Amino acid sequence: MLRASIKGLLAHKMRLAMTALSVVLGVAFVAGSFVFTDTIDATFNSLFSDVYAGVDATIRPDTDNPGTGEPSIEEGLLADILAVEGVDAAAGSVAGYAQIIDSEGVPIGGQGPPTLGFSWVDLPAVNSLRIAPENGRSPQAPNEVVIDVATSEANALSVGDLIDVQTENGLGEYEIVGLANFGTEDNLAGATLTVFTLDEAQRVFGLEGQFSSIDVIADPGVDQTDLLASLNSAVPSNLEVVSGEQQTQEALDDINEGLGFLGAALLAFAGVAVFVGAFVIQNTFRITVAQRTRELALLRAIGATGRQVTLSVLFEALVVGVFASALGVLAGVGVAGLIKAGMNSVGFGLPEGPLTLEPRTIIVSMLVGVVVTSVAAVLPALKAARIPPVAAMSAPAARVGRRPLRTRAIVGTIVTALGAGLMALGLIVENGSSLAMVGIGAVGVFLGMATLAPLVAVPFSRMISLPFRGITGDLARGNTARQPRRTASTASALMVGVALVAFVSIFAASVKASVTDTLDGAFPADLAFASTNFSVGVSPLALDAVSDLEEVEVVSAVRTGLVTIDDVEMNVVGVEPGTVGAVYNAEPSIPIEDLGSGLLVQSGILEANSWTVGDQIAIDYPSGEIVDTTIVGTYEDQTFANLMISDVTFLAHVGDDISIGFADLAAGVSLDEGVEAVDQALAEFPYIDVNTKSDQVAEAEAAVDQLVALFSGLLGLALVIAVLGIANTLALSIVERTSEIGLLRAVGMHRRQVRKMIRREAVITAVFGAVLGLVIGTTIGFGVISSLEGNGLQKFAIPAGQLVIWLVVAALAGVLAAVGPARKASRLDVLKAISYE
Amino acid sequence: MTLTEDRIATAVAARMRDGVKTYGEGDTEVRALDGVSIDFEKGRFTAIMGPSGSGKSTLLHTLAGLDSLESGSTFIGEVDLTTLKDRPLTEIRRSKIGFVFQSFNLIPTLTAEENILLPLSIAGRAADPDWFATVVSTLDLDDRLSHRPSELSGGQQQRVAAARALVTKPEIVFADEPSGNLDTKSGAQLLDFMRRAVREFGQTIVMVTHDPVSASYADRVVFLEDGSVVGQMDNPTTESVIDYMKKLGA
Repeated sequence: MLRASIKGLLAHKMRLAMTALSVVLGVAFVAGSFVFTDTIDATFNSLFSDVYAGVDATIRPDTDNPGTGEPSIEEGLLADILAVEGVDAAAGSVAGYAQIIDSEGVPIGGQGPPTLGFSWVDLPAVNSLRIAPENGRSPQAPNEVVIDVATSEANALSVGDLIDVQTENGLGEYEIVGLANFGTEDNLAGATLTVFTLDEAQRVFGLEGQFSSIDVIADPGVDQTDLLASLNSAVPSNLEVVSGEQQTQEALDDINEGLGFLGAALLAFAGVAVFVGAFVIQNTFRITVAQRTRELALLRAIGATGRQVTLSVLFEALVVGVFASALGVLAGVGVAGLIKAGMNSVGFGLPEGPLTLEPRTIIVSMLVGVVVTSVAAVLPALKAARIPPVAAMSAPAARVGRRPLRTRAIVGTIVTALGAGLMALGLIVENGSSLAMVGIGAVGVFLGMATLAPLVAVPFSRMISLPFRGITGDLARGNTARQPRRTASTASALMVGVALVAFVSIFAASVKASVTDTLDGAFPADLAFASTNFSVGVSPLALDAVSDLEEVEVVSAVRTGLVTIDDVEMNVVGVEPGTVGAVYNAEPSIPIEDLGSGLLVQSGILEANSWTVGDQIAIDYPSGEIVDTTIVGTYEDQTFANLMISDVTFLAHVGDDISIGFADLAAGVSLDEGVEAVDQALAEFPYIDVNTKSDQVAEAEAAVDQLVALFSGLLGLALVIAVLGIANTLALSIVERTSEIGLLRAVGMHRRQVRKMIRREAVITAVFGAVLGLVIGTTIGFGVISSLEGNGLQKFAIPAGQLVIWLVVAALAGVLAAVGPARKASRLDVLKAISYE
Repeated sequence: MTLTEDRIATAVAARMRDGVKTYGEGDTEVRALDGVSIDFEKGRFTAIMGPSGSGKSTLLHTLAGLDSLESGSTFIGEVDLTTLKDRPLTEIRRSKIGFVFQSFNLIPTLTAEENILLPLSIAGRAADPDWFATVVSTLDLDDRLSHRPSELSGGQQQRVAAARALVTKPEIVFADEPSGNLDTKSGAQLLDFMRRAVREFGQTIVMVTHDPVSASYADRVVFLEDGSVVGQMDNPTTESVIDYMKKLGA
């Protein structure tokens, strides 16, 4: 029995390869996401271990100690530290934000990875920066800086060049005297580094007489625990002492938090790929079982049990699964390498190092591939056992099956409804498992719809094939309608992919429409200006410069931050009550001038928390103070949910960073004139970007478009697998119809006509899948967006053009899938085909 | 001489000259056609008989342009099939030749009517409605036209195939064991119809069979053995064919 299975496998290498390919792609993404995250982990681990190798302990402000504000380290502490027993050497340093400006006045970096500034530490053992002899020297004078090698190379900067550096104390001109490596790397994860002398760094970061941290080297032979303990007793309680290992771990955690989303996204796409692949596998096995009816019946006739037949089919699946998963793991290493190279090419400085293939990756990937393949083959395998021995004697004529579909209708409807219900529940309730519920619900919807698809396959193929005239169209229509289950199952793989891209397109279009809507309605201001650097806000000085302009009528600053209420974090916005009304229409329930020291709550939030106007709420501010505040009113706009306080309150308890400045131009000043004047006023602040309303819309749209492009690209993988599935089904059904095609050729059909017939079959199947996918994607999109109405997604938009494009892409995918099978069919030897059984 | 040749040429629907076809190589080489020259006159029903491996199917396939000769030539009318590429050959099959095979004769997704009209549909031509009606009623298929092959009996399926072969008014119809899969009664019905098509419509039919009863419906029987024509008989009966075969066997 085993031998028969193996012989059968070897006899159908092509079938094996096509099925395997769909498994390979899915497993490759599973393995790829593991390899990528492991590689990031391993390379950064070795980098940071190297960087912190010389540091035995570091003294820094204790940030976990709330209610004390940002503690500082006085310079004088260094002497105390050096006096501690067991300390060999120690050095203090400062760190802050430093943005390099190129000669054109354009900021370098900052859109993603941070722009970091440091003081140079003259204690090589604790200095993570190294300057190679050929790369100059350390900064000695206040106007000298060192920058990192990667930034210098990327921007053609070299020793001796003059650059501008923006810090919170303004803009300064410096000479590059050296280029530094971070450990062994040219760069730290894409960040730009600027290193000043200690005095200059303290000045530009506003930390005169202070350190950000002190690094300590122990005397030889001193136990680390003892060192940490004695240091701890020597420093004020608002400072903490940490080991080099802990710092390495913390730095790693930061990196993982930043890049972790990529691993998660990759895993999600892997899930989609595996899911789509499962459809292809199941379909292939179903067809091959149907084709081998006679062979399997013969086995039954000569005494094999139904169980043995089932096992032989499952064994085939197992072999395909193992073989394909192994290839998938190898391909996964390639995928990870490609992602790493791709990220480095767009400026993420990922450290050098080999790709990491952990045993866990191999085990999990193999398991996923083998289990999915086997599970997908279970139904066809069970069906194989039901083939009666007598089937061996009867002719295997291609059947036109019309089996009762009522059970299918009931099961499909139930599964779809359960899936949809679970999704809805996941969208309504908000807790840790809602995303999982939506995901599992979506899988349910897809499975349910795939079950229902055969019911509509016949009318759908009729409709889709309406433009196909002539006998090739009739035959193609007949072929897709003759086995509705096969057609539907083939189309289902495409359905999943198209549903997901349709959903992403709709979601993106709705976000765009909502943004435009909000900007139009809520922001009457002509101009807005915000920082392009994630680590720093708009300077109050910049705001003053703009408000001094005679072209500008009103300027208003908006600050955003986080507060805690009843242990729940909430966004808070600080506005200037006197001016905000002119630039931002929040639709408040009371005149915003009357805000005073009170609190406005966004109406949805008010409702969700069962608060009422007049309630006293205890707000836990970042400063550590807890202030009982009265709710004086509500506001409708959701851009700045959830709470609104005055700038006075904000400055007192949250901070002074301005998130966005708005400006309304004086009457008679054109937009262009206004922009020019504001641009000039902000020349000293190159990191501040001035936007008109249409700029903002365009910017928001560009960001959304980028996301759509990324998602579509990755979901393209699902389309590739679906195309493989269609090609596989066609190829198999052509084998089944060999004599039929031979007859068509015998009675006068040209090769070209045969190809056309097969192509049309593929297009009908593909468009069928795409239409189902569009319907599901649109429905899910509508549901998700409706449920997010409270979160600023008030518009539901259908990007008809894009959806039509996906439909066309699907049709073209069908054409592509048909190329091989059509060629094979048209080249059948007529005589052999006629006498084929 | 020219006069005679002309007269023969116009009266011949298909012919083969010095046809050679071999299968296999070396020790296993089989001469399926060993220099066969034969004419098939218009308006006659010819049966080709011979034991298994005598080359009768190969003869039919090469005459019909489904298979190629190694040397020699075959003609449908005055067209030399051996010189044609796939495309014109397909055109010839579509317009000048009709086929009835032993099995796999119909496209399961098409109705009986669509199957009958298949060669015309492929060519994008319309049927002559009178002729279509004549063929359908002669074959007693009037009330079966909207049925699919799976809803027809074996005999009905073969009659649909025969109708398909005739509907294009081909110069010649080739039939390969057309009654081989049918019960006696259905087989007799089909053969009777084929004979009527020859008598009443002047159709030319060449049929391969190994059954003396089937052969008795033909106007002429050609006997093949080891790739060569070994004998002929006009106006055969079942008994005369059996006698002849006994003689050959002896």
